[in-house]
Amino acid sequence: MKAAVTSIGVAIILALIFSLPALAQDSGTITITMTGVNEISISLDKTQWPLGAVAADTEQTTSPPIEWCTLTVEGNCNVKTRILGEDARWYKDGVAQNYYWTLSNTNESDISDSVRGHKYMLWFRVRGDNPPDGRGYVLITKEPSEFWPPPSGGSSLAPGDTKQFGLKLLTPTYFVGGRQMQTKITISAVTA
Amino acid sequence: MMRRIKLAGLIAALLVILLPSFTLAQDVNFGVAPAEVHIDSLPPGEAAEFELTIHNKEELAHNFTIATFQPPEEEMRERMTEFPDDSWVSFSSQEIEVAANSQANVTVRVVIPQEQKWAGEDWEIWLGVAAESRDLLAVRLDVRLLVSTNPVAEGKSNAGLVAGIVVGIVLLGCGSYYYFRRKTRLE
Repeated sequence: MKAAVTSIGVAIILALIFSLPALAQDSGTITITMTGVNEISISLDKTQWPLGAVAADTEQTTSPPIEWCTLTVEGNCNVKTRILGEDARWYKDGVAQNYYWTLSNTNESDISDSVRGHKYMLWFRVRGDNPPDGRGYVLITKEPSEFWPPPSGGSSLAPGDTKQFGLKLLTPTYFVGGRQMQTKITISAVTA
Repeated sequence: MMRRIKLAGLIAALLVILLPSFTLAQDVNFGVAPAEVHIDSLPPGEAAEFELTIHNKEELAHNFTIATFQPPEEEMRERMTEFPDDSWVSFSSQEIEVAANSQANVTVRVVIPQEQKWAGEDWEIWLGVAAESRDLLAVRLDVRLLVSTNPVAEGKSNAGLVAGIVVGIVLLGCGSYYYFRRKTRLE
């Protein structure tokens, strides 16, 4: 009996001696690096474009056409910027309704009116980005695309840099009239 | 049929619509820090936390939303691949109000499931912060989150180790019992 008790005691002690360090072992060091104290920030000096009443199949351009809004890099890191649009939606008394204008994802202005239907189109144009070397008006789609630098190359935007740009909208060839439509264009920035 | 469509288009063309007309502030200005976060040597089964600071630089309070976005492949950092599952990244709050000219923190938590297949990986995901607004133009600031996992999966809940200890105790107990019994007999 004495041998059994002693045996079990010795076994437990030995097992604990070898297992405790293993149990207590941490899983390693996790390193979290915040890149300096970098802050990413851009500002826009204009966010609204009240058009008022518009007719079907007409082009609307911001005024001034290209220097309408100024994007400024406010943070302390270089950034790349992208732009995307979305469908325009009918709002009645501030409440979203189930009627849309679909944002065209392709340059369909040359397609017949009956096909384009309730689709509308948006473009942006950055000051100085002119053809033939530059882009001129660029279609805004529901897929993010380069705002600056352009896909053909160029420098990312540095702190303090500014870019002026304007917008153009082509209304659908037909739509239900008398409705207040709203849409959104998002300009996103990420570290270069 | 075509004639009807054309007629409908003609009638609609005579009608008008309104695009929004607001009278509130017309600019947007905020910042997010840090702009880029690297988490290195994160073992599968473990979690890491850090804070994002949202700085509202305007004279009005704003609600900000935070969400994850998969970056386009061409914009990813070198060697990085797509983050496998957005749900592994969570926020203390996905919407936060920041007073005028103030800042607020959001805690971001990254948890990698404890599976060997997630070991030794390099992933990138973007954390997008946007000011809630119904204006036409909006800004979203994307924070790059780069996560590298440990080459070998480790974890604190180790059932194998516990089982080994139990087996060790049994074997040692048996061995000791026979040793002491034999010693007692010899005496």
